[in-house]
This record gives sequence, structure tokens and C-alpha cells, in this order.
Amino acid sequence: MAGQTPILDQFLRSITDLVQNRDGAKLQDFLQIEPPLSDIYQQMIQELRQRYPSPQGDNGLLQRCEGLVPRTKGSSSWMAFPTFMKLYFAFLRDVNVDNLLETYNRLRGLLNQCVMALGDSQMGVIVLPTVLYLSKVLAKLAMGLDRRPELIAHILRSEGLVDREENIEKVTLVEQSANVVREAFIKCLTDRSGTPGPHGKPEGKRIGIYLMANLCLKLLFQCGKLRNAEQMFASISAQSPPLAHFPASQRVTYLYYLGRYLFSNNLFYPALIALQSAYDQCHRQALSQRHLILTYLIPCNIIMGRFPSQTLLQRPEARGLAEHFEPLRRLIIRGDYIAFRQHLSLGSSNAQWFSRKGVLLALRNRCEILVWRSFCRRVFIEGGFHGDTQANGQRGPPPYLYLQKLAVATRWLRSKHGQLPINDNSNSIMAQDYGSQTISEPTDPDYADLEDPNRATASDADQSILEKYGDYIAPESFFGEGGHLQENVPGHLVDGDPDADFDDLELDPYADIDDLEADQPSLLMREIESILSSLLTQGLMRGYLTHRNPRFAIPGARLRGALPTGFPNVWQTISAREKEDSSVPGWVRPPPRTTFGGPAMVSGGRVVNLSGARPVGVQ
Amino acid sequence: MSNSTTQNKAEPSDQPQQQKKPQVLEEDDEFEDFPVEDWPQEEAEQAAGSAANGGSEHLWEESWDDDDAAEDFSKQLKEELKKVEASH
Repeated sequence: MAGQTPILDQFLRSITDLVQNRDGAKLQDFLQIEPPLSDIYQQMIQELRQRYPSPQGDNGLLQRCEGLVPRTKGSSSWMAFPTFMKLYFAFLRDVNVDNLLETYNRLRGLLNQCVMALGDSQMGVIVLPTVLYLSKVLAKLAMGLDRRPELIAHILRSEGLVDREENIEKVTLVEQSANVVREAFIKCLTDRSGTPGPHGKPEGKRIGIYLMANLCLKLLFQCGKLRNAEQMFASISAQSPPLAHFPASQRVTYLYYLGRYLFSNNLFYPALIALQSAYDQCHRQALSQRHLILTYLIPCNIIMGRFPSQTLLQRPEARGLAEHFEPLRRLIIRGDYIAFRQHLSLGSSNAQWFSRKGVLLALRNRCEILVWRSFCRRVFIEGGFHGDTQANGQRGPPPYLYLQKLAVATRWLRSKHGQLPINDNSNSIMAQDYGSQTISEPTDPDYADLEDPNRATASDADQSILEKYGDYIAPESFFGEGGHLQENVPGHLVDGDPDADFDDLELDPYADIDDLEADQPSLLMREIESILSSLLTQGLMRGYLTHRNPRFAIPGARLRGALPTGFPNVWQTISAREKEDSSVPGWVRPPPRTTFGGPAMVSGGRVVNLSGARPVGVQ
Repeated sequence: MSNSTTQNKAEPSDQPQQQKKPQVLEEDDEFEDFPVEDWPQEEAEQAAGSAANGGSEHLWEESWDDDDAAEDFSKQLKEELKKVEASH
């Protein structure tokens, strides 16, 4: 029997030796699957097809593979490995790359079995490099198919897999792959050999924690299932050795994904720390990676009130970024909030790039307040009272700005952008008497009738109302005042005309304060007050508001001047507040009293000095 | 005649475009594997710049408030505020 398959025999002998020597790297090198395979593999495939044809040869093949693991006394004979090897040979023998869906499924099955072999507490670590290799090939295939669905569309159609069970959420190939890779990640993270947990070193399977996590994160980002990463970060925080003990490539990749995850969860400061650290540690020649890191690091900084300098934007890795971020910077500084909105509105071409990068909504929602600050600041410069500079030491009123000036400026800005005028005078017919007064949004079709509330109640609508709501407003029977069921005359409105005006009958709890009504601030003024309150609450402006005779006043400005006092530096304000907690969820740092690496490992909460860290993976 | 030529033209040129477009769009979004596994921190720092000024290059602009009253937007705003003040 042995003579019939000389190459397979030799291959199996080599595998046996590698397992005995626990040489995981070389084992992975032997277990090639990606075409083009060398001649020797082609010959082995021929042998497999002749001696162990599918499917009747599978049992014989498994028996051959069972000899690969040392038969120890009974208990742990690592049976998952022979099963994996059988699948490996079957994969080589049967794979048909013309059917990429089938190839994908076979590969996923193979990886799944390899992950099971990885689970063995004694022997599992030997297949770690193979798990990583198979995971990468699977990820590449899944992401390729995700980008070019037409490659398998005909297979899905012919197998009736399209639109099947539409009520169930579809699990894409990428997500399926992420799920298998996550299993491998968990096996690495929960390895209990040596010293596990945050005080341990990356040894055994733990050297694979960030390799597997990074691959899984790549897949989760690709399929847009970021939420699934939450548990991963939590487990890493709880169980992983410090990130600093892993190689630079893994650290940078992990911090990049972690930063993006935190960014999409609106945790901009932790995201900034993670991404800045990824940027600082990234190899200076890795331009494409540095470019991607900057793509997210810059929005983090803008949201927190800092813009990239010309020095940064002129670096080679920043190529092409200035054209997106510079216009945004100019708009924020100018304070034209309508132009800012238009710039980032869904229809605009500028928004597309931000949208594709996944930063559009964050920028739009978080930066508008900065634009308003600039706007108020400009109006204060041009129309505010800047304090009495002549009164040497005498107590004059503090600098202030009449909010009416902001209302004037808002109206001017609206007309400048060709938006409908708003009217402060409550007696005239308003162009816009509900919703925001500072911006003009197209009316939602559901509320279109509000433009003219009287029109909708015309009698011609009655019939349609009755048709729609007849069972409610004119039921067959109803409970009368006495609580008894009464028959109803068909079509009779039980509660009368739904549009009847009961205003005169209603109690008016504010009847006595009619004279206050005259002083009611306009809708626009109320909105401006709200926006200023928000700016003051966030510390982006400093001072107080008066409601009667509405003003924004800046007390205590004598020393530093009105502008720096009333409009403090944004970055300093926000970062001072955020710095109180500089921990980054998901980033394990060396414990304060570290047992390895010495005090140089910890420097103000930031991991910087890695010269003391031994490279991992050296056994 | 003209119909058939446009059809012939459209088919082969349209398809590869459709196939290529999303690929081109997304390829630069992928965080590629690094060609080397590990490197010392020195290789991460900007070579010339950091050596010259001790690594503290000015990368972020913290003070960006614009007090330039000559800017067009400011000028228009000023005029508008004056105009309204005068009319009161």
C-alpha cells in the first residue's frame, strides 16, 4: 500500500516529525493551499485522487492521518488534528476553484477544524501559525467575493440561495469568516498556560491574540458589524497581556482598528489617543497605513478643536487629505453655519468622501457647534460692546453682545444663502412659523399639510377621513355616559366633528398672564438663546445670558480681554476636560508595578518606550 | 445600424467599469499587512524633521480663531449690522 503513494507517505512522515518537534512555523509552511501549488503538491494530489478518491477513500485517509499524533496513554491524543489533516488532503483533492462559493465553504470548514485542533491545551499551539495562515486566505477570499459579488451570483442563483428566508438577517461570507476567526481569537486569549491575564507575558497561544483580533476586526469593519467587536475589546481588556509586549506591526494595526471603533462610538478622545499612538508607532515608510491612520486621526482632532498643520498636511502620507479637510477648516473658522451644512449635506460631492470613510455624521453633528461659536465670535467682534477701555480702573459694565444682533446676523446669513426670510413680528404671516428659524429645511411630506392647517379640514376631506378612521370615530356601537353599550346610527360621529374648534371651551391656565405674551421672545430669539446656552454649558463660550433684554455678557474680562475670556480656546477647553480620564477601553497597558521592562514602560499613561520589550514568538 | 454599434460598444466597456469601480474605491480603504513584523521606535519617527527639532514638530493647529476684520464675510456682516442699527 505504501508503495502506491510515495509522496504522500513522505509528506506524512514529515508532518509527524514536525508535530513531534512542535515546529508550528514549518508545519504551516508544509500545509499550502493557495494556487499555484508546486509540482510536488500536484503529484501528491494525483496520488490522493487515485488511492483515496472522494468520498469512499475518506475513511482510509483518516486512518492514515491518525498516525500523525503521538498515541499517549489514553487521554489526550489530539484527535482534532488527524481530522483536520484529513480535511486538508480532501481539500487539495476536491477543491474546484471555478466554484468560488464551494471553495469558500470548504476553506471555512477546514479552518473551523483547525481552530478545534488549536483548542488542545498541550498541542494546540502547534497549529497556531496554520490557523493564522488559513484565516488570512479565508479573509482574502471572503473580502474578494464581497467586493465582487458577481463572481458567485450565478452559483447563488442556480442553487436557489438568493432571497431565501428574507425575514432572517443575512449573514454575509465576511461575517461568517469573522465568526470563525473570532473562535481562534478566543482560543488564543484564554490559553491558561504560563501566567495568563494582564500580568502575563505573551507566550503559548497568547502570542496570537492580536494577530487573530486584527484579522477579525478587519473582517468586521468590512462587513459593517462593528457592534460584534464590542465583546472582543471587553475580553481583551479583561484577559490580555499588555499590548506593549507585542510586535510593532500588531500594535499599530490593533490601535488603528481600536481607534476607529472608539470613533464610531463617539469616544473621540480615547480614539484620538489610540490613533495618535498608532501613528507615532507606525513605520515611517508605511505610507498607506499612515495615510489611513491620519484619515481618522484628523477628524478626531477637528472634533476636539484642533486642525492639522501645514507641516502635517505636507507629509507624503497626508497626500490628498488637505483637499477634504482644508475646506472644512475654513468653514468652521468663518462661522457660516449654513455653508457648513450645505458642504456636508448628503447631496454634496464633498460629503461623499467623508461618508465613504464613515466620518460624515460625526463631523456634521459634532462640528456644527464649533461653527456657531465662530459665528457668535464674529458677531461679537463686529457688533458687541467690548468693554470700556477708557475707564481706568473704574467699574464699567462688562463686555456684552445683544442677542438681537445675532438675530440680525442670522437673518442676513439666511438671505445671503437665498433662504426664505423669517419674521420676528408675530402679527404678520410668517414664512416659517414652526421648526428651526436658523435654517430652512424642506418640509417632510408627512407634515406638508401644516403649511396651511385650515385647508386640510375642508369638508371634501371628511369622507376620506371617515373611510380611514370610520371604525374609530363612527363605530357600530359605543359605551355611553352611563357606561352602557349603545347602538350607533351608521355614519354618526360619536364624539362629534373631529375638527370642531373647542378653543373657547378650554380652560386657559395662563389667562392671567396675557401681558407677558407681548414680551414673548420670537422663535428665532429662543433658538439663539438655546444655542448659546449649549455653547456656554460645553465651555466653548464663557459668560452668562440675560433673558430680559437678551444679552450675552462676559464678566471678568478686564485682564485678558473680552475675546479670550468669552471665547476660550476650544482644544484647551475640551482636552482639559477629557484628560481627566486618559484610559482607553480595549488598550491593555502594563500594570503600574510592572514585573518586566522596568519603570521605563510606563510614561504618563502612554506607552512609548518599547526598547525593553522582548519580541514575542521566540520560543 | 447605429443602434447595433452603440450596443456593441456599451456592453464590453460598461461591464468592466462596473466591476472595477467599487474595487478601486475600496482598495485604498483596506489597512494592509505590514511587510515586516517588528521595528524599533526610531524607524517610526520622521527622519530629518524629528532629529532637527527634537521630535516636536508642529502637527496640530490649536489657535485658529480668525480676527481678520478685512475678510469678506466679516466685512459684509459688519455692514449688515450697521445698516440695521441705523434703521432703528
